[in-house]
Amino acid sequence: MGGSTDVQLIVDGKRVDGRTPDEMRKVRMEAGIIPEADGSSFVEWGGNKILCGVYGPRECIPRHGANPYRATIKCRYMMSPFASAEEHGRSGPSRRSTELSKVIREVFENLVVAEKFPNTQIDIFIDVLQAEGGTRTASVTAAAIALVNAGIPMKDMVSAIALGKAADVLLVDLGKAEDNYGQSDVPLAMSHKDKKLHLIQMDGLLTKDEIAKMIDMAEKASDQLHEEQVAALRRFYENGGNESFKW
Amino acid sequence: MDKKIVMPGEKIADSRIRAPNTFYEGEATFATVIGTLDETGRYIPLENPYKPQVGDFVVGMVVDVRHAGYEVDLNLPKGGFIPSRDIRVNLQLGDYVVCKIKLVSEVGDVDLGEVKRLPMGKIVKFPPAKVPRLIGRKSSMVALLKENAGGDIMVGNNGYVWISEKSNMPLLLKAINMIDVKAHTSGLTDEMAKFLESSR
Repeated sequence: MGGSTDVQLIVDGKRVDGRTPDEMRKVRMEAGIIPEADGSSFVEWGGNKILCGVYGPRECIPRHGANPYRATIKCRYMMSPFASAEEHGRSGPSRRSTELSKVIREVFENLVVAEKFPNTQIDIFIDVLQAEGGTRTASVTAAAIALVNAGIPMKDMVSAIALGKAADVLLVDLGKAEDNYGQSDVPLAMSHKDKKLHLIQMDGLLTKDEIAKMIDMAEKASDQLHEEQVAALRRFYENGGNESFKW
Repeated sequence: MDKKIVMPGEKIADSRIRAPNTFYEGEATFATVIGTLDETGRYIPLENPYKPQVGDFVVGMVVDVRHAGYEVDLNLPKGGFIPSRDIRVNLQLGDYVVCKIKLVSEVGDVDLGEVKRLPMGKIVKFPPAKVPRLIGRKSSMVALLKENAGGDIMVGNNGYVWISEKSNMPLLLKAINMIDVKAHTSGLTDEMAKFLESSR
């Protein structure tokens, strides 16, 4: 990342998987697929498959983690050992998954109206069943659906997308190759109503102008994602719950 | 009536409206949970954790027996408490009870009174936001279900529904699931009457 690379990521204006620079991968979302959970979702985003379950507000364990002013939000991101071609080892907590759990938790700490449920905890469980670049953004998108499905009050809907640069071209929704061999990678989470950034990370180098352009591109992409999220939730509530979930 | 499904953060009115699960920004009102918005501007949540209120009737299971009383699971982060001096019967672990909420403290402790032990049966979970539909106007839906199922049913405001073992349980579970699925549609009681008629 950052320097020059031998890998040809853009040929004739097309990317490695045949997309144009501002084209997203195919996304499919479903709400409420775990009946036992308070809220749940499943997101298929290109080669990513993400399952998310939300429980709570429930009793805070351990007790000393309880906050008398607001609900404690806990997030556990986990990549299955079989999630990708690379070795992810045993499915215990790793340096990577700890970081992702933290950044995803912080997105929702700013959006959930946690003051309504003092001394409780809200659990967000995210399992990556299959990975192909951009799992943190897909996880945020999935967790937002699951939280709405659980009826947890939020000030805004949120979706996330990764942007990047390869062969000096700005790209929307990085795939695995672009993520690994591109010049830069910027995952960001944007709320729908306010267009506020709740998560932004950067790998590699970018100029100020490029960042500004990326945020504009992200706005367009997150509108698209928001539509998908709303469609998934509508389907769930209009067609009648879990029975609508047929493969 | 035409209903629209609104998402968290969606505007529900241009003026400040006092309604639960909303917030203001400037002079506009926004929703915080998924709900329906009808033409008259009434916003009804579709999904919401139960919030205990004094006077609510709740159904629960005894999960702890202590010296001073009993703890009851009420679909809340904390269990409700029944002081034993308030009741004459001895409850046992696993008993189903229906009680009235006497007091909700600042930190969310719930004190219960008017305890009635429920006979053998089963408790099923139901979304608390949809409980009004399960009860119906003047308990019309509950009355209808009781009449057709041949046994008792008790709906708690907390989203726990107790079903008597003497009733036609499969039919009742089907009916309850149907209410869950169609909670946002109108004319539900008539539809339910038809459904129960046809499955007899």
